[in-house]
Amino acid sequence: MAKRILIVDDEPRYLRLLEANLRTEGYEVVTAQDGMQALDIFSSNPIDLVLMDVMMPRLDGFGATQRLREFTNVPIVILTARGEEQDRVRGLDLGADDYLIKPFSATELLARVRAVLRRAHSSSDAVQVRFFTHDDLKIDFARAEVWRGEEPVSLSATEYRLLLQFAHNVGKILTSEDLLTSVWGVEYKSDKEILWVSIARLRQKLEKDAHTPKHIVTRSGLGYLMPPTEV
Amino acid sequence: MDKETLSELHRIFQDVQSKADWKSALDTLVLSMRGSFVFDNVAIYLSDRKSAGLDVVYARAIGRGKTSEADAAWGEMAANDVISNEHMIIRGPGKNSNRENRMSQTHLLGIPLYIGSKLRGALLFVRFGGPEYSDIHIHVASLQAVWAAALLERKELQEARAELDSVQRQMRLQDDFVSTISHELRTPLGFIKGYSTSLLRQDTVWDEETQREFLIIIDEEADRLTKLIEDMLESARLQSKTIQFKFSPIRLDSLVRDVSSRIKTHHPNLVIEMKVESLPPVLGDGVRLSQVIENLLGNAIKYAPGSKITVTGSATEKRVRLSIADEGEGIPEEYIPFLFERFYRVPGERTVTGTGLGLYICKQIVMAHHGNIWVESVLDRGTTFMIELPADPTL
Repeated sequence: MAKRILIVDDEPRYLRLLEANLRTEGYEVVTAQDGMQALDIFSSNPIDLVLMDVMMPRLDGFGATQRLREFTNVPIVILTARGEEQDRVRGLDLGADDYLIKPFSATELLARVRAVLRRAHSSSDAVQVRFFTHDDLKIDFARAEVWRGEEPVSLSATEYRLLLQFAHNVGKILTSEDLLTSVWGVEYKSDKEILWVSIARLRQKLEKDAHTPKHIVTRSGLGYLMPPTEV
Repeated sequence: MDKETLSELHRIFQDVQSKADWKSALDTLVLSMRGSFVFDNVAIYLSDRKSAGLDVVYARAIGRGKTSEADAAWGEMAANDVISNEHMIIRGPGKNSNRENRMSQTHLLGIPLYIGSKLRGALLFVRFGGPEYSDIHIHVASLQAVWAAALLERKELQEARAELDSVQRQMRLQDDFVSTISHELRTPLGFIKGYSTSLLRQDTVWDEETQREFLIIIDEEADRLTKLIEDMLESARLQSKTIQFKFSPIRLDSLVRDVSSRIKTHHPNLVIEMKVESLPPVLGDGVRLSQVIENLLGNAIKYAPGSKITVTGSATEKRVRLSIADEGEGIPEEYIPFLFERFYRVPGERTVTGTGLGLYICKQIVMAHHGNIWVESVLDRGTTFMIELPADPTL
């Protein structure tokens, strides 16, 4: 089956260039003009590789890469006109698999695509779950939105990051230190009070009854966990 | 602390902290405490962060001596004493002072000011003709000193922050400039490289139509690159003022007619309505001014395709004005302030090629003529660019 490649760029002439060349190699091509559109397209189509421009309106390539990495291992190649080391490092650190600096030649582009696809041969079974559910709680990773039943829940950026820690580790006990370090940073490692307050606020927003929480449960002396849902 | 004192302190605290600038905060602080601590003059001396000298940063004459100038010199010696001894001083009038004249009977109270843990200055109070300072007075004054130090620290932090902000803004501007140039140059280069290497691929055969499409893109992008380099050199020359303007009396009406007829030969269907009577001459460089008019007309053609263009001329005794109006989509208000900035392009304006330098160059040229250029735009109605130049003063 033909591999499907998503191209994200706001310059129509780049979209045309990439699409024309990729099609000659038998790839299927889908295009998006900014990061938000890319995330939307991604969730409705199985994608084997993303070619992502950096400077784009609405959501740029770095932002979109970060968001994608919250729920998928799809190979991402960053296309950038900015050759500075720190940009390349930033892209790779956010989870990109490779980068290509504009201007690039068509043959090099195709070779990179082949190489990245070869390395990620199992990409078809890469985790590509946009939505996470836990009882009545639902997270849309692509849009960074949270729902309780039919009700949208508005979370602060920190609360959302805290919730992601639990969603990515269902059934696993997370210690206060783990949570403080990964959400707030290592210098907050022992500020337990911040965590208590934030967990309490998160429960207020997510739980039917904040006193008998179902989503974020306290294990005294150990930490917190999101228990596995009963099947 | 009894309830009354507490609520009084609370009120004062709120009053002082709510003041936006440090001076009015200090005013509020010293005045609101005058109920429990009477003084005539107050001054704050602070050692400069950079030099070692003492500066009066704050002085108020409130009681006696109010009519005489708020001269804070009376405190400088005392302030120096406070700082060198690192201790509070209380100083009564000298034995030789004139007992008949209250104003010469000075009672001084000086308290050290610590910012952080560093002794940085002194807060001085003066009373003319007594009474002497009691313990409670000294307490209130010490409280004021601690508080004043906190206010001064806030002031210094605000100043340091403003300084940092401006340095950062400068750096960002330079950074942006370099990265914009490299981005602007790489974009057309990227297309030329990408499409030409596509055509050179040996493992595929492009149909004739696609080949032609790619070649046209390469050709257009090469032109764009050339134009970009020309514009960049031009704007750099204008900015460094290495361009010599050749000023002579110019008539804008005939200039704009020349430029329009030249443009019409390339755009035969273009309608330009001329509402230009004969205008008084301006002192200008004809070549450069034609460049401005050509650019403005060119923009109207590019961004308001198919629209009629109206050119209007008018003059007062001292100024000559030319306006160039299209009936296109207009420019959203939020983008207007940036239109004349270097490399600025209205976001989303992708379909039309441009370097973001045209209007910047226009502005530089008009400024060199001591004139003005500005724009008015209404969405769905159109955009009007106006230039105004001083009339030739020699006539």
